[in-house]
Amino acid sequence: MESKQEKPTTPFKPARLASSAALGALNEKYYRDLAGAKTEGRPVFWITSMAPIELVYAFDGIPFFPENYAALCSSRKVAEELCRAGEARGYAQELCAYALCIFGSMFEKKGAFGDAGPPAPDVLLATQGACATHPKWWEAMQRHFNCPMVIVDAAYVVDSDTLDDRYKKYLTAELKEAASQIARYTNKKLDMDKLREVVAFSDRASELWDEIDALRAAVPTPISQIDVFTCLFPLVTLKGTKAAVDFYVQLRDEIKDRVDKGIGFIPNERFRLVWDLFPVYHNMRLLNYFAEFGGAFVTDLYGNAFSGRLNPSDPFGSLAERYLSFFMRSASWGKAQLYKKRAQKYGVDGVVFHSNRCCRCFSAEQPDMGNILRDELGLPGMKFEANMVDPRGYDDAQVRGRIEAFIEMLEARKYPKQKGG
Amino acid sequence: MKPTEFYETYRNRHQLAERWKREGKKVLGYFCNYTPEELVYATGAIPVRIRGTTQNIDLADAHLPAFCCSFMRSALDQALKGRYSYLDGVVFPKSCDMTRALYSIWKRNIHLPYYYFLPVPGKQTDAAVEFFAEELRQFKESLEGHTGQKITDKSLKNAIRVYNENRSLMANVYKLGLGDAPPIPGSERYGICLAGVVMPKEEHSAMLRKLLEKPPTAAPSKKKVRLLVAGNTFEEIGLLQALEESGAEVVIDDLDVGTRYYGAPVDESAEPFRALADRYLRKVLCACKHPAQARVERMLELARQYRAKGTVMVIQKYCDTHLYDRPWIESRLKEEKMPVLVVDHSDTGWVGGKFKTMVQAFIEMLE
Repeated sequence: MESKQEKPTTPFKPARLASSAALGALNEKYYRDLAGAKTEGRPVFWITSMAPIELVYAFDGIPFFPENYAALCSSRKVAEELCRAGEARGYAQELCAYALCIFGSMFEKKGAFGDAGPPAPDVLLATQGACATHPKWWEAMQRHFNCPMVIVDAAYVVDSDTLDDRYKKYLTAELKEAASQIARYTNKKLDMDKLREVVAFSDRASELWDEIDALRAAVPTPISQIDVFTCLFPLVTLKGTKAAVDFYVQLRDEIKDRVDKGIGFIPNERFRLVWDLFPVYHNMRLLNYFAEFGGAFVTDLYGNAFSGRLNPSDPFGSLAERYLSFFMRSASWGKAQLYKKRAQKYGVDGVVFHSNRCCRCFSAEQPDMGNILRDELGLPGMKFEANMVDPRGYDDAQVRGRIEAFIEMLEARKYPKQKGG
Repeated sequence: MKPTEFYETYRNRHQLAERWKREGKKVLGYFCNYTPEELVYATGAIPVRIRGTTQNIDLADAHLPAFCCSFMRSALDQALKGRYSYLDGVVFPKSCDMTRALYSIWKRNIHLPYYYFLPVPGKQTDAAVEFFAEELRQFKESLEGHTGQKITDKSLKNAIRVYNENRSLMANVYKLGLGDAPPIPGSERYGICLAGVVMPKEEHSAMLRKLLEKPPTAAPSKKKVRLLVAGNTFEEIGLLQALEESGAEVVIDDLDVGTRYYGAPVDESAEPFRALADRYLRKVLCACKHPAQARVERMLELARQYRAKGTVMVIQKYCDTHLYDRPWIESRLKEEKMPVLVVDHSDTGWVGGKFKTMVQAFIEMLE
């Protein structure tokens, strides 16, 4: 901890998590199940993030998250080609690259694995929980697949203190209506016991995720941001299954063991950082570049966007509450409040803002958020531009240059005595 | 009354608003077609639409990424430069993601006495209308608290009547475009539309009455190509003038400060909150709330009524919800044998020459 970090010469690679093997197996099984869904007679739901995945599992369906899949396409380096194919159909390049990538895959029947892509949806399930563009994107897919679509509507509230019971009532009714539409489209009956069981698994996975997030407060922090993003997969796609719970028990135990033994994911942690917001899927190694200077990400909001506690004795009501309390919907000061709490608890030195060119919804308020954190907490921030999925136009050298300048500034702030040797 | 006087009024909107302020009136800004202005009007305050300009952006870039629409960037820039300092507050309805995000950015950086965020459902079901009607009752209470003026059943019904009357006068202005030689060019009609969103409705209506009493007579000229202009919003009126100079007549529009704003009256026989909720949720067909199909049907109906031979779709860059609909709308119009020219637009980076070359080729093809 004492010597000043020099510019690294060998790229940093964090120690592999033992739980990675289990994660890989879950991943494989999921894609096998997805590929076999049609022969097994299980309905395939293409769903937006923040949609009630618990309903999908309660109806014995298989959820497919186009967003997640686009991220996979990006990390497998096929996103650019697919985005271009989406653009060739008239969709503007500035649109959400998740959507463009999926449009490309859908029109060209090309997938992430050199295959024909995911099986077509039996039901499209969308919400406006994350952004107003989700229903538009889903609408375009509905025109292509000509299948039923269910949209769960909720009035958007930006100041949580204006939330009153009416919002919950409206949304609870929307969720029940969604369930009855799904029953009609899949020709199945909703089994309330099954829904309660799914909701209980979902709640438990979130509880474990929250525990893991709390463990990240340890010094040194036990898990890398890359691992956090990677380990999100079950919380997004398998939330509501026992498999997800089992995985997070294993992961929590492994992380807890690291904390108990004082093991950090980097050997020489010097700066504790927060990542805002989307990963850069085509360049996840960028996160390691911070580690090369002793920079460790200790928390983030994106990862926690997918956890939310539920109450199995009140499935619909608690699903509505989870949805309404989704912090990404709050105004900049609400989000900044969350960062403030975390900054203290996690001992944060700075914030890194990924200004995601294709996501106005969650990038627009970043400059203000940065100002709030700077003015009210004295927390420095750096910003860089990228597109989360599409590598075109990304200037790695420039971004790395910014990181170096940011680290230098943090160095001068945190270790002033060492300045100038 | 010359049609061009409306656009002059629009261009002087800040001076006008400052004058109303000196006269002791309250002026409340609002965004987007989903703010039920009748409620604001019923308090005696003057609702004015927040608009941008075509000028360079100087201050907004420190608060908003450049990959956002030029309308929102420009409006914020104007506010940061103090152009909107006369406002007694601003209302942001939940329409697109940008309107939602700009609420917090304005509220933090533009110091005005009142801000209101109006949740607007994304569906048009009966439950959604019921919910929105209740939301409007809350909005009413908030407005009363801020302005100190009670909104009575009588004042609200009067506001609805005043707004409906304005809508019906505007419908008559549009109808002038039905004939073979429309007396008011589309660019001037756009100026009339723009004026209506930045001045008291009864004054706009008085001007409209004068205009309609003795509408200008169209100068005999060679037959022009009748066009529908569709899209979201733009400040650059030169865009419509360029179409006209190239031999087109913009006989009808599907624009946000156009038929989407002035269409569909509020049902005066129904309970006012329910009637407002119904009108704003179900009859204002913006891409952010309505599927492309309903929008295409409306466009085709307008084109049929006004005998438009082609459509020019002008979409602001970075306007997500419209951009999602655009490819399918374009293909549907073509299926219906309607030639379409699609134009990317940015008010701050508009190049007249380039646009004119594009539209000339399009119009020649239609001739």
